[in-house]
Amino acid sequence: MLEFINVHKSYGNTPVLKGISETVASGEVVVVCGPSGSGKSTLIRTVNRLEEIDRGSIRVAGQDVHQPGRDINALRAGIGFVFQQFNLFPHRSVLDNVMMAPTTVRGMPRAEARERAHALLERVGLAHKAQAFPTELSGGQQQRVAIARTLAMEPPLILFDEPTSALDPEMVGEVLAVMKDLARQGMTMVCVTHEMGFAREVADRVWFIDAGQVLERATPEDFFHRPQHPRAQKFLSDTRH
Amino acid sequence: MLDILHDYGLILLIGEYPHGPLGGLAMTLILAAAALLLSFPLAVLVGIGRTSPIRLVSRLAGLYANTVRGLPLLLLVFWSYFAVPMLFGKSINASLVMLVALVIYESAYLGEIVKAGIQALPRGQTEAARTLGMGYWTTLRKVILPQALFNMIPSMMNQFVVVVKNTSLAYVIGVDELTNAAYQVNSQLLTKPFEVYALLAMTYFVVCFALSRAVAALEQRIARTRRSRPA
Amino acid sequence: MKDLLLANPDYQTLLAHGLWVTVKLFVTSWILAMLLAALLTAVRSTSSRLGQALVALFVEYHRNVPGLVQIFVWYFGVPQLLPREVQRWINHHDGEFFFSCIALTLYAAAYMSEDLRSGLRSLPRGQVEAARSLGMSYRQTLQHILLPQALRAALPPLVNQTLALFKATSLAMTVGVADVMHATRQIENETYRTFEAFLMVSVVYVLLSWLIMGAGAYASRRFSSARN
Repeated sequence: MLEFINVHKSYGNTPVLKGISETVASGEVVVVCGPSGSGKSTLIRTVNRLEEIDRGSIRVAGQDVHQPGRDINALRAGIGFVFQQFNLFPHRSVLDNVMMAPTTVRGMPRAEARERAHALLERVGLAHKAQAFPTELSGGQQQRVAIARTLAMEPPLILFDEPTSALDPEMVGEVLAVMKDLARQGMTMVCVTHEMGFAREVADRVWFIDAGQVLERATPEDFFHRPQHPRAQKFLSDTRH
Repeated sequence: MLDILHDYGLILLIGEYPHGPLGGLAMTLILAAAALLLSFPLAVLVGIGRTSPIRLVSRLAGLYANTVRGLPLLLLVFWSYFAVPMLFGKSINASLVMLVALVIYESAYLGEIVKAGIQALPRGQTEAARTLGMGYWTTLRKVILPQALFNMIPSMMNQFVVVVKNTSLAYVIGVDELTNAAYQVNSQLLTKPFEVYALLAMTYFVVCFALSRAVAALEQRIARTRRSRPA
Repeated sequence: MKDLLLANPDYQTLLAHGLWVTVKLFVTSWILAMLLAALLTAVRSTSSRLGQALVALFVEYHRNVPGLVQIFVWYFGVPQLLPREVQRWINHHDGEFFFSCIALTLYAAAYMSEDLRSGLRSLPRGQVEAARSLGMSYRQTLQHILLPQALRAALPPLVNQTLALFKATSLAMTVGVADVMHATRQIENETYRTFEAFLMVSVVYVLLSWLIMGAGAYASRRFSSARN
């Protein structure tokens, strides 16, 4: 489903990704973790070309994302992305936010889009907030709407960039619940997150990134109990309270 | 266009001088500078009035400012042309009439700038001064106004550019400034209105553009001094 | 009371007609200016260096040349460049109004596009990223996400600009447009009752200005509340 082939990227003279080569199979849930500045956010942002790469290639469902001449909009429509800052559109209602992409990008008739949006809001537990505006919602509610908005395009792959890091602790659970649900239903997901509980429960694999390289890839069980790489060991002991 | 500049350039620049009063671009700049300088004290009063804790004062100042800002400058020019000679009982030089109109117009807009400057200061400044026992006027004089006015210098300089453009309305009452000079040149030439007025536009453009660039540079200087000052 | 200028039906019609021309000039210029401003802002936010430079030049010209002079350039200067038949056609069809409208439209559009541009810059970058991540094209992002929000953010300066445009319509009288200011001067010339005439038109302008300021405040409250 998703392949990184020798991906390199630098910001000016500073290398940020140094030869990443990994694959994610369809239906797999991968959690990416690592210290700050390790390049984990940059890595997933290269998948839908929010960031460019200098060398190597990235393939989603067999298509090279960074190939010049690619219709990037069509590609992005097929890749879901959930931001740390939610980034809902504040000038439109919650329902409109979820409906917007299918109607403008895919030309779906509004009635159909509305039905689908309602169903998705139901799925994330926010059907009663359909007519509200984003600024009236709590952080956790906004992020759940953001997930619904992404699901409206029925992408085969969803990327999560620290989806709970901007939330107050009591709201983290409701968002993780939605994500765990998605995972159990077979969605291919790559999540950059610090939530180790989430990783343990639903991840198929964990990638540990530090200084632009994937230093360890293992099942959650192996990673948390028997980390191999010294830096992974240090990271885990630093973050354990 | 270059030959127009060559033949009439001097008229556009300084009018009939020395065979008559100063005119053209020189008059424009003098009018603008005088208007800004004379309206400044009035504007400070308006600004203080707008931020006064006495409701009647702030309401009156607000009424004054909002009324003046609701009138086109052209109308103020006509008012001035009619009222000023009447008040003085004799005919007044058109430039002075224009000056009065500009001063009143600017007092409202500059007054807004002063008001904004005063309100932008952190409340702690007033609180500190009053805690030390300074009265309302002393606080205003020694603490608030010096800071507010210094911070508003760039905005005030921008207003100078606005006033330069506003002086063009003096043409309507026959003042011999730049626009009028161009009009006279055109009346003589008759066959090249586009060149004449394009030249006029370009003159204003060069002057105003240069002035705004100078203001921007000044703004940077001020921002740097503000950053290096300890809180 | 019967002696009041306003009571005279002839002058009533003159003023009313003048007011109608003022409103026509204002509304036409305003609508065209807003459309042009949106277009200019869209062009300026693309990656085309040429487009950006042209818009910047347009804006700088109109911000540094007085409105009166801009009207003169259009009314006195531009006809010289047009073929004779076009000149004649325009003169038959209210040339003064036509050129004043063009001048005022361009003048206002320059300022409004700058206001929209700052409005655009104040939007968090995440908005663009979210829209593009959903697969929306740049044009769609601009149309559905950026411009609507930029408009709301730029509402206060845009209202000021609207007010300025309204007052600037008075300049058109200098080239013969029969607006309310022109009508007032006419009345004043005939009756020599300058004070009364000027007072009337002042009241008209102040009331309409306050109306515009009030409408702007209402719009700000209504649309800003949807954001935060």
